[in-house]
Amino acid sequence: MSVIQVKIERDHYETSFFEVAYSTDMTVLNIIEEIYRHHDPAIAYRFSCRTGLCATCMMMINGKPGLSCMAMGKPGEDGYLTLAPLPKGHTIRDLVKEV
Amino acid sequence: MDIINTDVLIIGSGAAGLSASVYAARSGQKVLVIDKGAVGKSGSTVGAVQIASLGEWSLNGDSEETYFKDIEESGRGLSDPVLAKILAGEITERINELIAWGLKLDVDEKKEVAVFSTAGHSISRSVSARKGKTGLGILQTFLKKARSLKDNLNTWSDVITLELLTSSERVTGALVFDLTETKLSIIHAKTVILATGGMGQLYPVTSNPVQATGDGFSLGLGAGAALKDMEQVQFYPVSLKAPQSVAGFCISFYHYSKLYNKDGHRFMADYEPETLENTTRDKLSLAMASEVGQGRGTENGAVFMDVTHTTDRVKSDFPHEYEMCVDRGVDLRSNRAEVGPAAHFIMGGIQIDGNGASSVPGLYVTGETAGGLHGGNRLGNNALSECLVFGARAGQAAASESAERENRLFPSADVSEWLQKLTGDSPVRGKKGVSPYDIKRKIQSVMDEGAGVVRSDKGLHQARKKLEEIDVLLKEAKAPSLKPYSREVIDFIESRHMVRTAKAIVEAAMHRTESRGAHYNKDHPGLETKPYHTVVTYQDERFICLRQPLKGDR
Repeated sequence: MSVIQVKIERDHYETSFFEVAYSTDMTVLNIIEEIYRHHDPAIAYRFSCRTGLCATCMMMINGKPGLSCMAMGKPGEDGYLTLAPLPKGHTIRDLVKEV
Repeated sequence: MDIINTDVLIIGSGAAGLSASVYAARSGQKVLVIDKGAVGKSGSTVGAVQIASLGEWSLNGDSEETYFKDIEESGRGLSDPVLAKILAGEITERINELIAWGLKLDVDEKKEVAVFSTAGHSISRSVSARKGKTGLGILQTFLKKARSLKDNLNTWSDVITLELLTSSERVTGALVFDLTETKLSIIHAKTVILATGGMGQLYPVTSNPVQATGDGFSLGLGAGAALKDMEQVQFYPVSLKAPQSVAGFCISFYHYSKLYNKDGHRFMADYEPETLENTTRDKLSLAMASEVGQGRGTENGAVFMDVTHTTDRVKSDFPHEYEMCVDRGVDLRSNRAEVGPAAHFIMGGIQIDGNGASSVPGLYVTGETAGGLHGGNRLGNNALSECLVFGARAGQAAASESAERENRLFPSADVSEWLQKLTGDSPVRGKKGVSPYDIKRKIQSVMDEGAGVVRSDKGLHQARKKLEEIDVLLKEAKAPSLKPYSREVIDFIESRHMVRTAKAIVEAAMHRTESRGAHYNKDHPGLETKPYHTVVTYQDERFICLRQPLKGDR
């Protein structure tokens, strides 16, 4: 198992960096769960069905909106997997938007 | 602490909760729907592919009587005939209403409603909407209807229920925790409807969404409700085992497939020589688990599913599932998939009458949280049908009871434990103790080992003992971070519900000393002559389990 560098834009003034144990079959959601388990138990993220239907896990993934349960975890051009909440609407905290 | 008043409180916003909400609000009562996730997007409904139905589209030979008989047959003697009759009798009206509110059923090449076959039904009667995203289509239809009733109907997302409140043995509301504001609130209601779905997350591999942690069963137990046949946990036989990111993903087209063990033998020929793979879920799960148990499974504890002979049919009838497999590297055109049983549905649940009323005054239950309709085995595509029919009934009945009650009762709630844990004043708050996530994982492994597809007396006893140990861990658990929507606080609360529900399942399983329906105990492989229900209640922090003779046997 290798590692992936993850950057989470948590709000306007805080960005967190994580070095996460990684294998190529991991989705973005798998990587966030790994962060929750081993790095930051207070991280806020939303998901439900894990199969691309409910769309509650949508977030910005390397600058583009995507479903974290469907997108495979891959670094962007800068070498980081960059995650951020969707730009529209109120962010409750971290990656969670108000519904 | 905020106090909120409503007439009807509905906990859960899948098809069952939303159906109840629409019918309750139409009667003019004030309705509040709460969900621990996003309203209308957080339950098992989202993933439902088809719905069993009767209607203008029904094939020649189908009827209420035939549908009723199929449910009875599938229920292995445990299905409540009163509920089954209501389902068969009212499903047409409920689906027609949804169509009137905007749901469009999928059509075939002749532009007629497409009717699909489903294993266990004696005749094709499943229909779909939104090209197999039927659950989503139904939710959106209900949400649209709910918006048209917004004078009476409010929804509240991201609020999780800790306990039901009772006063003089009547349910009078709920103690809830707002995940966004991170604070406790009390909701007073004249009636409460539990529609919190299932409990697949009690097991390590499940088709269920992350929210399916059995909250409703635990809440019902806490309020004194009786739970019926909780040992009847359905494992969806054919779900993907690999890759890990989609483990538990259900394959709806297993009746088109051929299943092989690692030796290349089509083993269903040994178990069900006539129907082969096109059999009911309980039989298929047991056969697959037995093959793996006897060392004929793959390294991942799976068997192989082959659809290379019929990929085009799979692609056209189940496009979402087909795409999902291909996306994750399982190319069904040329390769076999590794599959195995996943916790899918609980037929048992809170005992209800035909209107969804539980044994506790003021408490109604609908959808998967209710028990009895499906008996020992749920037929495919009957889950949504149940939600529509009994959601409507529970909504109407709860609203008419609320209308008759003048004043709300104000319970004296003992919220001190929750307050202490969740507001940060707890003496045990600190960094020590097992994390809520790890406690969840422990519960899953206990249930997998002791209360999975194949059970034994020894395994169940061990599971009971280990759940007691987890209870101790919970008491000493690390207090969660209370930042808004922290994953840890959700796991902290859910793990409490999970343990209580897990114990109810294990107690019920220990009291069924036979193998019936989804409950298979290898120490008691046969059927007892007189069928009975198991009934679990919870009093003074103890579980009581009794056998109840079937109606008519008393």
